[in-house]
Amino acid sequence: MTTQPRLLHDLLDDAARRDPHTPALSTGERTASLGELASASSRIARHLRARGLRRGDRVAVRTGDPLAAVAALFAVSRTGAVFSLLHESVRDGAFTHVLTDAEPAAVVCDSDEARDEATAAGADFLTTGDLLALAETPPPGAADGTANGTGAEETAPVPDRTSPVLEVDPVCMIYTSGTTSRPKAVVSTHQQILFAARAIRERLGYRADDTVYCPLPVSFDYGLYQVYLVMLAGARLRFGSPTESGPPLLRSLVESGATVLAGVPAVSDRLAWLAARSRRRPTSLRLLTNTGAALSEKTVASLRESLPGLRVQVMYGLTECKRAAIMPPDGDLDRPGSCGLPLDGTEIFVVGPDGERLPAGETGQIVVRGPNVMAGYWRREELTAERFHRRDGLFPELRTGDYGWVDEDGYLYFDGRRDDIYKERGFRVSATEVEAAAHRVEGVDSAIVLPPANGRPAQLAVISSIPKEEVLERMRGEIEEFKVPRVCVRLDDLPTNSNGKVDRARLADLISAPGRA
Amino acid sequence: MQRNDVVTALEAALSEALEREVADLDGNVRLFDDLHLDSTSMLEVLMSLEESIGLQVEPEDLEIEAFESVDSLTDFVLSTRPAAV
Repeated sequence: MTTQPRLLHDLLDDAARRDPHTPALSTGERTASLGELASASSRIARHLRARGLRRGDRVAVRTGDPLAAVAALFAVSRTGAVFSLLHESVRDGAFTHVLTDAEPAAVVCDSDEARDEATAAGADFLTTGDLLALAETPPPGAADGTANGTGAEETAPVPDRTSPVLEVDPVCMIYTSGTTSRPKAVVSTHQQILFAARAIRERLGYRADDTVYCPLPVSFDYGLYQVYLVMLAGARLRFGSPTESGPPLLRSLVESGATVLAGVPAVSDRLAWLAARSRRRPTSLRLLTNTGAALSEKTVASLRESLPGLRVQVMYGLTECKRAAIMPPDGDLDRPGSCGLPLDGTEIFVVGPDGERLPAGETGQIVVRGPNVMAGYWRREELTAERFHRRDGLFPELRTGDYGWVDEDGYLYFDGRRDDIYKERGFRVSATEVEAAAHRVEGVDSAIVLPPANGRPAQLAVISSIPKEEVLERMRGEIEEFKVPRVCVRLDDLPTNSNGKVDRARLADLISAPGRA
Repeated sequence: MQRNDVVTALEAALSEALEREVADLDGNVRLFDDLHLDSTSMLEVLMSLEESIGLQVEPEDLEIEAFESVDSLTDFVLSTRPAAV
């Protein structure tokens, strides 16, 4: 096969043809070869089609089993539908939002509440077990000879003469936070994902002999892309559970023979602390890639001292274009603070307030152009027009909302944001969304979030008739756990400025005043 | 070092990592599910214990089973026989 993969599942089928038998994907408990995954996803696709799933339909998947999530996503891709992998902590109100927003035709999830809610909304419902059982059941149509349960026809396209899947069709929705009270979904087409995956692989240089350890969930886009990257490289992927990737991280890396660690700052910090205390270091680990937020210099220096064979690649990107810039290995030594060069075939520049391009060295809004810029936000026309701006009304350029500058050689330097988004523990959090979640808690009259600053975590200030612990507890039903601020203070009044708006500086002083919990 | 001392140190470490008061812990309390610790705060707990009671961590000996509950973590800390008392 010399043709480039055109649809997302071609990526799997090509990789499976090259190497059907190696256990390429694994968790601590199970492994799957690409051949198994190709036929499992094909069978599941045929079942889903028979159950009524059509091209363009949405499928929401929330499962703790990354191998099942991967089988599901390729199955959905084969049917021409659109998958959305949800974090396990997307529950209650956050889950309801996805049901209302995406209107999925099918939901894969393991809770009774989700079953009731999805069924009431008219969606087909499957548990992770149901989904995996489909892979073991001969697909409908086997009787008429289109599939017999074995052989190459298993991965043949799911027949649908009236509406074939196109590379410009949507295939993935990733919910992301920011400037809106509820997360919105970034929609990607087959073509956009394949371009981004190939361009990233070009820069990261994963090799066929690599084992990539991924402590990130597949609901997180960099976790998801590890699946594509290892398929392109012919490498192996080991998913690490949250517990395995906590204090036992070093042990997990050694035991899995990992050569690459796909990290965020929290993971890298953990590795640095553990490696500095260890006698038996994971010498096979050759590459650490970092996304999510900037790595601290202290962490990188400590890692280099403990693990001399390790190279570090820092990156910058956002779900709206997946990845924008990647640093060459150890490039941070020559250009500290930079997050690298744009992907091949793409461009990064900086614009001023009127959208005019700024010269090298000047700070402005970071803009990305290229085939990695995704389709836009699901059912958010206004926001899409704003972020996915069309120059001259025609040519998409992603106005990231991030600020920074580009040096004479084209290296990008990130300088922060000018809106309500902050990063905590490597996760992107929207203050608007957190405040909206607090407001939805009964008993809360007013809520303000102070983003992390000067080493202290994000703080929530509320006026409420219920205890602060209860506010935080109930917020877990509204937004994902990692978005809930760890610190909450109850006040009788929020300080305001002359415009009647909350005075955040005075509020911060109030909260940090001695004697306050 | 007595079990009680370890539990007290653990409560202090948890209070610090979770930024809220944690006291009178039952041994069966699960660290991830009940206390909402995550992989990051779990490591912060180890860091505090290293400082407060001189816990000496051998990263290779850290198994997931040790981090299930208050009891399992206390057992683990006791098994490392901290240097300081």
